[in-house]
Amino acid sequence: MTTVLETEELRKQFGELVAVDGVSLAIDDADITSIIGPNGAGKTTFYNLLTGVLKPTAGTVRLKGDDGLVDVTGAPPHEVAKAGLSRSYQITNIFEGLTVRENVRIARISRDGSRMDFLSRADSDPDMEADVGEILTLTGLTDIAETPCDQLSHGQKRTVEIALALAIDPNVFLMDEPTAGMNPTETTEIVSLIRELNEEIDATFVVTEHDMDVVRDISDRIVVLADGAVLADGTPTEVLNDERVTEAYLGSEGQ
Amino acid sequence: MSGDEDGTRTGLAAFGSAAVTDGWTRERISLLVAIGLVAMAFAPSFQVYLFTEFLIIALFALGFNLLYGYTGLLSFGHGLFFAGGSYGVAIVLRDLGPVIADVVGSGIAPVVTFALAMVIAVMIVVVVAIPVGWLSVRLEEIYFALITLAFGMLGFSFILQNPGGITNGTDGILVLLGSVEIGGMDVRLGDRQLYYFLTLGIVASATYTIWRIVNSPFGAVCKAIRESPDRAAALGIDVTHHRWMTFILSALFVGIAGALMAGLASVASPYHAHWTNSATAVVATVIGGATFFAGPIVGAFIYLYVRWGISRFPALEAHWELFFGALLIAVVLYFKIGAVGGLLLLRERLFGAETSTDGGGETE
Amino acid sequence: MNFTTLVPLIGIGDIVVGLSLGSRLFLIAVGLSLIFGVLGVLNFAHGALYMLGAYFALAVTTSVVDNFWLAVVIGALAVGVVGALIEVATIRPLYERAEGELDQLIVTFGFVLIIHELVRFIWGSQPYSMDTPALFDFSVTVGASTFSAYRILVIGLAALVMLSLWLFITRTYFGSLVRGTSSDREMASMLGVDVPRLYTGVFFLGSVLAGLGGALSAPLQSTSPALGDQVIIDAFIIVVIGGLGSMTGAFVGAMIIGLLQSIGPQFIAAGHIAIPFLAMVLVLLFRPEGLFGGIGE
Repeated sequence: MTTVLETEELRKQFGELVAVDGVSLAIDDADITSIIGPNGAGKTTFYNLLTGVLKPTAGTVRLKGDDGLVDVTGAPPHEVAKAGLSRSYQITNIFEGLTVRENVRIARISRDGSRMDFLSRADSDPDMEADVGEILTLTGLTDIAETPCDQLSHGQKRTVEIALALAIDPNVFLMDEPTAGMNPTETTEIVSLIRELNEEIDATFVVTEHDMDVVRDISDRIVVLADGAVLADGTPTEVLNDERVTEAYLGSEGQ
Repeated sequence: MSGDEDGTRTGLAAFGSAAVTDGWTRERISLLVAIGLVAMAFAPSFQVYLFTEFLIIALFALGFNLLYGYTGLLSFGHGLFFAGGSYGVAIVLRDLGPVIADVVGSGIAPVVTFALAMVIAVMIVVVVAIPVGWLSVRLEEIYFALITLAFGMLGFSFILQNPGGITNGTDGILVLLGSVEIGGMDVRLGDRQLYYFLTLGIVASATYTIWRIVNSPFGAVCKAIRESPDRAAALGIDVTHHRWMTFILSALFVGIAGALMAGLASVASPYHAHWTNSATAVVATVIGGATFFAGPIVGAFIYLYVRWGISRFPALEAHWELFFGALLIAVVLYFKIGAVGGLLLLRERLFGAETSTDGGGETE
Repeated sequence: MNFTTLVPLIGIGDIVVGLSLGSRLFLIAVGLSLIFGVLGVLNFAHGALYMLGAYFALAVTTSVVDNFWLAVVIGALAVGVVGALIEVATIRPLYERAEGELDQLIVTFGFVLIIHELVRFIWGSQPYSMDTPALFDFSVTVGASTFSAYRILVIGLAALVMLSLWLFITRTYFGSLVRGTSSDREMASMLGVDVPRLYTGVFFLGSVLAGLGGALSAPLQSTSPALGDQVIIDAFIIVVIGGLGSMTGAFVGAMIIGLLQSIGPQFIAAGHIAIPFLAMVLVLLFRPEGLFGGIGE
């Protein structure tokens, strides 16, 4: 197994508050790793450090490149994305005013670096259109490809969110609460989509999730964060039966 | 008028038959628009002037909207680039005119000088836009509006202070285009009709280029940045760099508009750099509908013709700002799609026609 | 140039003129800054409201009651009402909109056009001047300089406004609501603060201050429809340099710009128009939060 994403003693401090406290993790290729933890455990900050939205106080982030791991610590978000880390957002963040196809096409334009081409038509490259079509098929969005995103249902928007993350052909997908706000049917669909992508294209996923059923269902591995540090790390059975984990969750419940 | 000529004869024939036989086709509309534009040249002199001014303001607003409607950045300082164009032309004509006449001989000198002046003016604008844009795109939203306003007014102060006599202070610079002799006839470059056709040609080509840009991969990325900058960045797009490039392109087209204005108004005026002139592009674009490609064009039309219309009534004269102020507020509050959106809606009501994806002129 | 020739040029009179200019600018800038700090709205029409204050005061003295003080108070309050109406009718619907900030800027710009034109419609394009109130209509001579006593009054009043505002924001219940809402609107709303009413109140207060600035300056400058367009740019410069949302910043910024306008030309004949804009650009680039902190500081 090869490591595709690695953090070493990653730390972030806001004034006195230590939000992420020396997290060292190695994410393996083609794994689905869930990161869970009570509210305020530092999951969001940890994500922002990985994606370059925040600069760490100390520590490093490395991503798999062509020859071994590449240090992307402190690089801006677009460079981290170029280096192979793609993300979806907890609060849906897609190009609302554009159609589903346009959304995916933009991600694809970004990937092949043709964004400075300002005279040919955006939809004139057959290779690109084929790729876009493939991604739409894979995510089951073909039927609504020409619909503007602001007319989609919540579940459909969440799927576009994933299609966007997929279209830049990343090494690692970071999914922040992929089932947030979804009804049970939509949740089942998203879960099977993630599993399908994991199996068909060997995609690596790092997922944060509130829904414990989903976590148990999809994870190869679970990492528990509490107070900014790794509390437990292992297979779902190991972690979910760990007393410290139950305690951390119950302890936070009363707050 | 533009792209059809390089087509084959059959293409032309197909266009012709589509234009005259098949009812209200796009070809027929294009043909009628082309005929209308040519016929415009034979309208009364003042009307030709007004229409030429409309074309220039339309290009001003189109260039501005590349940044506002397409990329989501509201500039209150594009007058700087408008002035860059008009002063560029004025200064080249004033200072280099005699030199060029010496080189190419006096016969065609005015034509060469004007062409060169246009090119140099646009180059000046780009040279100014590169650093100004690089600095401005570091900021967003209100702060971007404020810094562009400051840059515009910095340019305005520069023009007023007249360093080394180059800008001629508050008076501005007189622009005289001169005349050439063709077949024993004295043809003035500044002739209303001739200048109208010149402007029409340049504005039409520039508009076509902008249309290509907004429909290109580059334009698609602009729209993505408008919709969600952080999402675009998470897909690997260097948002700041892309905004910078758009800023420069936007300034370039505004510079062309300014350069044309110098020839039309026969003066490069400090007012061109003033924030109230920058606001002209804002008003025209918002009224017309910033989310439509044609919005700035329709907005510029309304801006100039309503102003002219109001000035016909002595009782209302000079109170056109009241109308535009109210219109601006109404559009922003209740009718974000602007005049073009309104027209499309009206067409839908009247003819039940498809409006959402038709015409290719919309951004969305 | 050397200092022995420069120093005598700055008379006390010039400084007084500069500070009185700064005082008027402070009144408009602090209102602009307060509104931005609490509502997040950059009110382009603030210069127009300032101008309206001058016209209202003029109108009161000429056709209602010939009392300067009453005219200033009525003028300022009337401008406050206009501001509150603008906020309720046209800005309130935009708070929830995604790209609302730019829309608010454009809407308030619409009012620049409307107020400018209404003023021309009602009062015409010619400039008006207003008599200095009799009580302060005398000159003060200090050393070689002579200046109007009214200027000292304006400076004093601006200082008084600054002090009262500061006490108001830091010491009163309403002030604490204002501070709370400016830092976290949703939290304030959850704690039961009537945010829409508070916003209208702050817009009213900011407009009153602009109107007060305009009314007080009516005896010092000629009042014409172009006044608003000039003064809003100065106000933008001041709030950017001082920090959008900062009262101290508005005060210091206003005094700097006032002094620059009165004594600047003697030093830097060529640069005094450009320098404020250059300063604005530099502050935006290197310290976009301004030279001073947030509201109440």
